[in-house]
Amino acid sequence: MKAQTPVLQAKHREKLGSRYSQRVRNAGGLPAVVYGHGEAPVAISLEAHDALAHFHAGEKVFKLELAGSKEQIVLLKELQFDYLGTNIVHADFARVDLNEKVRTKVAIHLIGEAKGLKQAGAILMHPVNEITIECKVLDIPEFIEVLITDLDVDQMVTAGQVKLPGGDMRLITDSHAVVAQIVIQQEIKVGEETTAVAGAAEPEVLTAKKPAEGEAAKPAAGAKPAAGGAAKPAAGAAKPAAPKK
Amino acid sequence: MALMPKRVKYRKEQRRVRDRKATKGNYVAYGDYGLQALEGAWVAGQVLEAGRIACQHYLKREGKLFIRVFPDKPISKKPLETRMGTGKAEVDYWAARVKPGTMLFEIAGVAEATAKLALLRAAVKMPVRCRFVGRRLSV
Repeated sequence: MKAQTPVLQAKHREKLGSRYSQRVRNAGGLPAVVYGHGEAPVAISLEAHDALAHFHAGEKVFKLELAGSKEQIVLLKELQFDYLGTNIVHADFARVDLNEKVRTKVAIHLIGEAKGLKQAGAILMHPVNEITIECKVLDIPEFIEVLITDLDVDQMVTAGQVKLPGGDMRLITDSHAVVAQIVIQQEIKVGEETTAVAGAAEPEVLTAKKPAEGEAAKPAAGAKPAAGGAAKPAAGAAKPAAPKK
Repeated sequence: MALMPKRVKYRKEQRRVRDRKATKGNYVAYGDYGLQALEGAWVAGQVLEAGRIACQHYLKREGKLFIRVFPDKPISKKPLETRMGTGKAEVDYWAARVKPGTMLFEIAGVAEATAKLALLRAAVKMPVRCRFVGRRLSV
C-alpha cells in the first residue's frame, strides 16, 4: 500500500439496473458498489477518469468520500469488463479497517533472466501471475518480486517458495501452484495433431445403436455412409417427378 | 489432421443461435498475449489447424501456443444437386462456436513484437476479424 491513500469522490446511485448504469457510463461515470462490515450495500457512481487512472496505477485501497456520509476506507475487490475486455464497466469495493486482515491478489514480478533460457527451445512459463495472500490492509504490497536467475531447465518456483515481504502475511493460493518454470518446447511436426485420434475419421458415438448379431455386415451407426449417402440422391433422381397439384 | 472430438453423445446437432457476445473464454488466461475474435462464426477445425501452422512456423520452436477453442460442433451439409428432405445430412465438418470476444489463440514465452507478428499470421486464416490483445488488468 502506498503512503498516501488516494481519494475517490462518489455519489449515490438512486436508480439501479443495466439501463441506468449505462446512462451513468455515458455521462462519464463508473457504476460501483460498496459492501461489507455488516452494513447494507450501497450503489455508487465514481468519476470514471480518476478511478480508472488509479486502477491502472495498481491502487487497491482508497478513501471514499460519499456525499452525506463519513469518509470510509475501501478495498477494491473486483472489476467487471465488457465482452471484449477493453472497458471497465463496474467496480466492487469492500469496507475495511486499516489494521484488518484481508485477502487480496498480488501480482508476481519475475526478476532476472533464468540461466535455463540460454538453452535452445527453452521457454519460461508462468501459469500463475498473481497469488492470493492474507495480510493487513496497511501492508498490502503492490507486487512481489521473485528472483529467477538460478532457474534451470525443468526446475520451477512454486507459490509456496515465494518469499512474502511481511512476516504476518499468509499465502492463500495453493502452495504447489507453479509461479515460474523453464520447459523445453516440444517440436510439433506439420500435419501431426496431438489431440485428434490418428486414423479415426469420425468420433465414437456413445448413444449409437449397436448392431444385433448377424447384422455385422451392416455399417456402424457412427460410420460415414460413403456408398449409402451417394446412392440416396441417385435413387431419388431416378424416381419420376411427383404430379403437381 | 484437423481437430475433432474423440467421442460424442450424439452424431448431429441443431444449428442454434449464434449472435451472442462471449461471456467466458474472452480474456488471456494461459499465455501473455492472445488473438481475440471480434465477430461470431463457426470456425472449422481445418481453419484452426491452418492458423496453428501459420503461427508456429513463424515462432520457429520459440514460445508456447495455446488454442483456446475446440471444434466440437458437428456441421452437416447436404451434397450438391440433392433434393430437399430425406432427413438430416451427414456431418461435413466440425466447428468451434466463436462469439464476439472469444479468445482464439494465446502465446506465452515470447516478446510482444514476435507474438504480435505470429498471431497476425493466424488472424489472416480466420473467417472473422481479430485483434491482438494482452492480459487485462486484474485486481
